Amino acid sequence: MSDMLNLLTIILVSSLRMSIPMALTTVGAVFSVRSGVSELGCEGMMIMGAFFGMLGSYMTQSMWLGLCWGICAGTAISMVHGVLHISYRVNQTISGMSVNLLGLAIPPIIMQLLWKTKTLSPSVVSFRKIKFGLLEKIPFFGKIFSEMNILFYLMMAIVIIAWIFLFKTVWGLRMRMVGENPTVASTLGIPVKAYKYLGTALCGALSGMGGAYLSLGQMDLFVQGMTAGRGYIAMVINAFGRYNPAGALVGSLFFGFFDSLQIIFQDSFIPSAIMMMTPYVFTLAVLVFGLKNLRIPAGVGKHVDEQ
Amino acid sequence: MITRRTIFTMHRSVVSIRTSILSLFFAILVGGVIIAAAGYSPIETYATMFRGSLSSKKGIILSLTQATPLIFTGLSFAIAYRVRLVNLGAEGQLYLGAMAAAIVGYYVQGVSQCVHVSLALAASALLGGLAGLFIGFLRVKFGAQEVITSIMLNEIIILFTSYLAAGPLKGAQSVTVQTERIRATAMLPVLAKQSQLTIAFILAIVIAILLSILLNRTVTGYEMRVTGFGRRAAETGGIKVWKIYLLTIFISGAVAGLGGASQVMGVNRRFVEGFSASYGFSGISVAALALYNPVAVVFSGIIFGILRAGAMTVSRTTLIPVEFVSVIQALVVVFMAAPQLGLDLLGIPKNLFRIGKQLVARRAGSAEACHE
Repeated sequence: MSDMLNLLTIILVSSLRMSIPMALTTVGAVFSVRSGVSELGCEGMMIMGAFFGMLGSYMTQSMWLGLCWGICAGTAISMVHGVLHISYRVNQTISGMSVNLLGLAIPPIIMQLLWKTKTLSPSVVSFRKIKFGLLEKIPFFGKIFSEMNILFYLMMAIVIIAWIFLFKTVWGLRMRMVGENPTVASTLGIPVKAYKYLGTALCGALSGMGGAYLSLGQMDLFVQGMTAGRGYIAMVINAFGRYNPAGALVGSLFFGFFDSLQIIFQDSFIPSAIMMMTPYVFTLAVLVFGLKNLRIPAGVGKHVDEQ
Repeated sequence: MITRRTIFTMHRSVVSIRTSILSLFFAILVGGVIIAAAGYSPIETYATMFRGSLSSKKGIILSLTQATPLIFTGLSFAIAYRVRLVNLGAEGQLYLGAMAAAIVGYYVQGVSQCVHVSLALAASALLGGLAGLFIGFLRVKFGAQEVITSIMLNEIIILFTSYLAAGPLKGAQSVTVQTERIRATAMLPVLAKQSQLTIAFILAIVIAILLSILLNRTVTGYEMRVTGFGRRAAETGGIKVWKIYLLTIFISGAVAGLGGASQVMGVNRRFVEGFSASYGFSGISVAALALYNPVAVVFSGIIFGILRAGAMTVSRTTLIPVEFVSVIQALVVVFMAAPQLGLDLLGIPKNLFRIGKQLVARRAGSAEACHE
C-alpha cells in the first residue's frame, strides 16, 4: 500500500515538474495567437531562454538574474519573428522557422568560444526546492509541495494573471480583437501592430522563461537539444487548450504526465528510447484526434494597412 | 524567337538571382560581425574559409562532398514548398533512409554491386517516402498541420533508429551506437580517389533535373504549381488537391531518404547515431536561397557545401565551430524572406548619422538662440 502511494507521489511530482516549462511556453503561445501571430518560433525562443538563462547564472552567480537573462533573450529573438512577420509581412511559417533555426545555431557557437565544448555547459547556480518546515509534515501533499521550487508557484501566478489579462481587462479584449479581425480593430483605432508586437514579445518572454526553467529549474546546466521539440508541442497544447491560459495549464499537466512516464519506466523492461517516444506519440494523437471543432482566431497571419 | 514572355521570364530570373546574391551577402556580412565579436578578423577568417574550400582540389572535393546531403534535403524541402506544404520532416526521413540503406547494405549479400546499390537506394527512398506519405495522410485525412506532425515524427523516428542501432542491430565490435559495416558491394562508387565524393552527388543533380522537368513540363507538375498558387483555385479547376499533396510529400520524403542513404553508403559506411549535422533543417536554407527552384538548389547546395567545408578548415585553427555556418544559413532564410530588411539594416548607420547631424544642428541652433 505504501508502495502504491509512493509511486503515485513520484508520478504526481514529476508530472507537475515536467508541466512547468510547458505551461509557461504555452501561455506565451496563447498571447501570440490571440494577438494574431503564429507561435511557430516557440522552440527557438525556448532554446535561447534555456541557454542564456544558464549563461546569465554563470556570469552573475545568481539564478534570478539568470532567469532575467533567459527572459530577455527569448524576447529578443521573438522580435526577429515580430519584425519579419509584422513589419515586413513575411509568411509566418518562414519567419517562425527562421527563429527556430537561429535558436539552434547560436548556443553551440557561444559554448565553443567560452568552454571549447559544444554539447554541455558547466553547472551553474540553479533554483532549489523550497523548505516549508512544518507544512512538509502534511501527509502526501506536504511531500509534493516540498519537491517544488519557486518557479512552480510563479508559473501558477502567471497562468492566473494571463487569464485575467486576456478575458477581464480592456487590453485583453483589444488584443483578442486584433487576433480575430485586425481590420475592424484598426477601424476602431486600436494600434494593431503594437498589440501584435506585444503578443509576440510576451510569447518570447514566457517561452524564454520556460526554457530557463529547463536549464535552471530542472537541471543546473545547458545541454544541446535539451528543449527536445517542446516548443512545437506547446503549439499543440495551445490548440488543445483552445488558446486559453487555463486550458494551457490543463494540457501541460497531461503532457507532463506522459513526459514523466519515461522517468518512471527508466529501469523497466521497456527500452528507454521507446519510452522517450511517448510524449511525441501522445502529441501526434492529440493533433490528429483531439482537435475536433477547433476554432483558431480568425485573424492569425492577417495584416492591416495602417496610416 | 524572343517574345515578351521570354523577356519577362528572363527579367524575373535576374531579379531572383539578385535577391539570392544580396541575401547571401547580408548573411555573410552579419556572420562577419559575429566573427569580429568572437575576437577574430572577419576578412582573414573568410579568406581562410574560401582558401580552404576552393584553392585546392582536395578542398573542392570536400566542398562537393559536404554539398551532397544538402542538395538532397534542399530538394526535399523545395519540392514540398512548391505546393505550399512545409515538410520539416526531412531530418527524420533522412534517418529512416539511412537506416534502410544500412540494413539492406548489411543483410543482403551475394549480389553484384550494381544490384546491391540500387536495392539499398530504392529501400531508403521508399522508407523516406512512406514517412512523408504518413505526414501527408494526416494532413489530408485529419487536417493535422504538417509543420508539427513532421517535427513530432522526426523525434519519433530518430529515437526509433537510435533504439535499433543501440539494440537489435548494433554492430558486434562497436563501442558506440552504430550498426554493422555495410558490405563492399553496397558501397557507392567514388568519383575521386581517396575521397568520400561518390556518385550520390551525380544522383542528386539528376534528381534535381528530373524534378525540374516534372514541375515545368508535365501535367502533374502544372497541377502542383497551381496547387501552390492557391488551394481553392486548384480545387475549383478540378485538380484533386489531396492527390497532389500525397504525391508531392512522398517525393519529398523519398529524396530526403536518399540523402540519408548517400551518407551511409558513401561516407560513414554504417548507420551512426546522430550522424546528421542537422542536414534536414539546413535543407530549408538551401531551398530558400534557391527560391524553391530544383535546379537552383544544386547551386545553393554547393554554395553551402563550400561554406561548410571552409568552416571545417577554420575550426581547426580557431575556436569558431562548424555550426557557424548554421547561423549564416538561418540568416539566409531571414534575408530571403524579407529582402528589404537587409537594405534597411544597411541604412541604419546612414540614418543614425542623419539624426545625429540634425541633433547637432538643433543644439547649435538652440545655443545660438540662448546667445541672442
